[in-house]
Amino acid sequence: MAIFRLHIPVLDQVKQKGLRPALKEKWVDVVTRVTAGLNPDDVRGVLRDDPPGRPNPRLTPHAEGFWLHMKPTYYHRMVDGFYPTFRLGWLSTFFGVFEIITGIFLMIYYTPSPLVAYENMLGLLSNVPFGQVMRDMHRLAAELMVIVVVLHMLRTFITGSYKKPRQFTWATGVVLLGVTLVLSFSGYLLPWDQLSLWAVTIGASMVEAIPPEVVGRNVNLLVRGAPEFGANGLLRFYLLHVVALPLAGIVAFGVHYYKVIHHGHSLPPEAEKVGEDTAKRVPMDSRVYFMPEILTRELWYVSALVAILFGAAAFLYNAPALEPHANPLVTPLHTTAPWYFLWLQGLLKVGDKVVWGLIVPGLLTGLLLVLPYLEVGPSRRYGDRRIGLSAGALSVAALAVLSYMGTPYYGVTTSPDQEAVAELLPQTHPGPLRSAPWEDLTLGSYEAAAWSSAPNATLQDLLHEFNTSLTTVLSPDRTDVAGVIVIEDWQADLKKVTLRVTWTNVADGSAGEFSESVYLHRDGRYGQGA
Amino acid sequence: MKAQIALGMLAFLALIGVLVVVAIGEPERMAEVTRAFEARQIETGASLFEANCRPCHGPQGQGIQAVAPALNAPDLFDGSRLAAVGFGGTLPDYVRGVVAAGRPVPSAGTNYPQRMPAWGQEYGGPLRSDQVDALVAYVLNWEARALAGGGAPPTPSGPTVGADITVALPPGDAQRGKALSEGGLGCSGCHILAPVGPAWLASGTEPGIGTRAEQRFQAAGYSGKADSAEQYLFESVVAPNAYIEPGYQANIMPLNFADRLSSQDMADLIAYMLSLK
Repeated sequence: MAIFRLHIPVLDQVKQKGLRPALKEKWVDVVTRVTAGLNPDDVRGVLRDDPPGRPNPRLTPHAEGFWLHMKPTYYHRMVDGFYPTFRLGWLSTFFGVFEIITGIFLMIYYTPSPLVAYENMLGLLSNVPFGQVMRDMHRLAAELMVIVVVLHMLRTFITGSYKKPRQFTWATGVVLLGVTLVLSFSGYLLPWDQLSLWAVTIGASMVEAIPPEVVGRNVNLLVRGAPEFGANGLLRFYLLHVVALPLAGIVAFGVHYYKVIHHGHSLPPEAEKVGEDTAKRVPMDSRVYFMPEILTRELWYVSALVAILFGAAAFLYNAPALEPHANPLVTPLHTTAPWYFLWLQGLLKVGDKVVWGLIVPGLLTGLLLVLPYLEVGPSRRYGDRRIGLSAGALSVAALAVLSYMGTPYYGVTTSPDQEAVAELLPQTHPGPLRSAPWEDLTLGSYEAAAWSSAPNATLQDLLHEFNTSLTTVLSPDRTDVAGVIVIEDWQADLKKVTLRVTWTNVADGSAGEFSESVYLHRDGRYGQGA
Repeated sequence: MKAQIALGMLAFLALIGVLVVVAIGEPERMAEVTRAFEARQIETGASLFEANCRPCHGPQGQGIQAVAPALNAPDLFDGSRLAAVGFGGTLPDYVRGVVAAGRPVPSAGTNYPQRMPAWGQEYGGPLRSDQVDALVAYVLNWEARALAGGGAPPTPSGPTVGADITVALPPGDAQRGKALSEGGLGCSGCHILAPVGPAWLASGTEPGIGTRAEQRFQAAGYSGKADSAEQYLFESVVAPNAYIEPGYQANIMPLNFADRLSSQDMADLIAYMLSLK
């Protein structure tokens, strides 16, 4: 008696029917199983856009398989065009998946510890094939995802698609917006350079203001893992970024998409009578079937978008260059929050931290969440919603203004001499001096005022810019403002460049001076994405 | 729909094309990023050196007699210094080890009574390991120029001032004295304790060294030979053990300034110090 018996049914089939018929039958069987209901002829029919058979076999994967079980079998022709969806919801999903895939690649090379995180980033850029392009793609898609998700919400608002019966869909969408923003924000900290540390510190500093003091202090401890960002804070943000938020996002996405399909994509506002919702009643002649049309389109969109993103990341777009290692003791001049949180930074400049940094944004977020339960006007038509649409437009304008106020151009008081030096030698990005061709930095000492007599165009440009920014130092308190750039040979292939601003204080006639030095190596390669 | 399938195929082929192009360029790109990274290390190292090492090792690493040895010197790079201290490893290891852990005891037979402090965080210093690496990269970048004839500045030639504090000095120039005090003599390498800068400036209720000198040579317990503030300062530089201010130790300050300074240097230094009230 055999210890075990191996039974391979296809061998029996081969014995019974001969090799070719048996293998063909097996092939049909495998394809039908993999596609959850389509045999090879059906698949070919889909690809050729043949008319479906009766009963339509292309509906089976939706009923039998997991991947398409939520996908509708057909859509209304009116929501299939570019208008009214602009494909923004689909794009958000695409970017979400794209971020997960590129993110997993990046995770392989990253350890969430302040001891090695920065080194890991350098290793990713210098020692991992496709490492830089993966990072660039992840970052590019993250920025685009924020834009697309916000536009998706705006579109939903403008077409009134949040109205009954889709209120809850809207609410889950607001949750997804929040998840997207916090995902992007939490990813900021991971490179552990100056940019990440300080951009995130600005964002996290708000929780510290939560009153009463004991709550704020403890919430701050929970978020940062210590009074300031360090090993614990980095680990927390990493876990938020790669576990908690993606999970929350996937769950919220499931609910959101289920609701979208459950209620059907809302038709353009002008297509139905006020108060009616006919999205689920699709006349036979208005149906666009998922297979083949939508499937084909989505597949070609995916391949096109991946190619575009890869090409853009490889040749056009660079994620922000790594700045120096994070240093909790040195705050760079002009640190800003990520652009999508600049409006918050702007609000903080308006007034009290608690009111403008917590209560107002909290109220606004809450309002956004419950908007469809408060705004219950029955009509989705543009003409009937002048107040609502105007309020929406006004909010967008206000966000734009607040975002501007969040930038260093508004309401930041620094000393103008530091400002003038930072013009050439900014602390948050390479800037003109570091990016200038190294060979053009001819050794010597140059007066900003005499910029036109510098030995080459690069130096003339730098000195001219310096000279222009010096005009801001001149004030009733300060006269005799002068600037000088000193370029010294420091080591083999290393130059020391010193920017110095001098002036006379009118009050007591004393001399004032501010200077900053930078060391530039021939191979420094600033401003080129590394 | 056929157009979409074709476009999709084309996009896929384009993606493969981009992948291939990127793949071909990757080795060169990675090498370039590595070069840039090493260059930035040197830049970072230069700033760290300026902030932390310059006071003792001099602005260009040429060392300061009796304070700290030269780093921008051929013997560091040609192996003779490693042989002299009996270090069997590589030069980068040696430099990294000394920067990170410091020197627990001064090297025997050298004129460097101070111990090198530990700089690495793992040894209780202030610098992260990537900063120590940057410093190592910066120091090692002196190799070419040091071997080509860099090294410590020559000892000044000509007559020196000597240890007799009563000799007549030429008229002093306070500005030049200030430059000397901050330069290669290495004074500020040790006298940096005041919150405002060098310890000879006025700080808080403590007046500048000029006023202090006027008071001290007349104070009870003064054991030196000076009869004036000038002589007191002269003596403090060339014979620091003649009088040790309470709270300080003897034999910390190098004893060789009498043989290193010219009369003019001494006069300039005194003029500078007396100007600090």
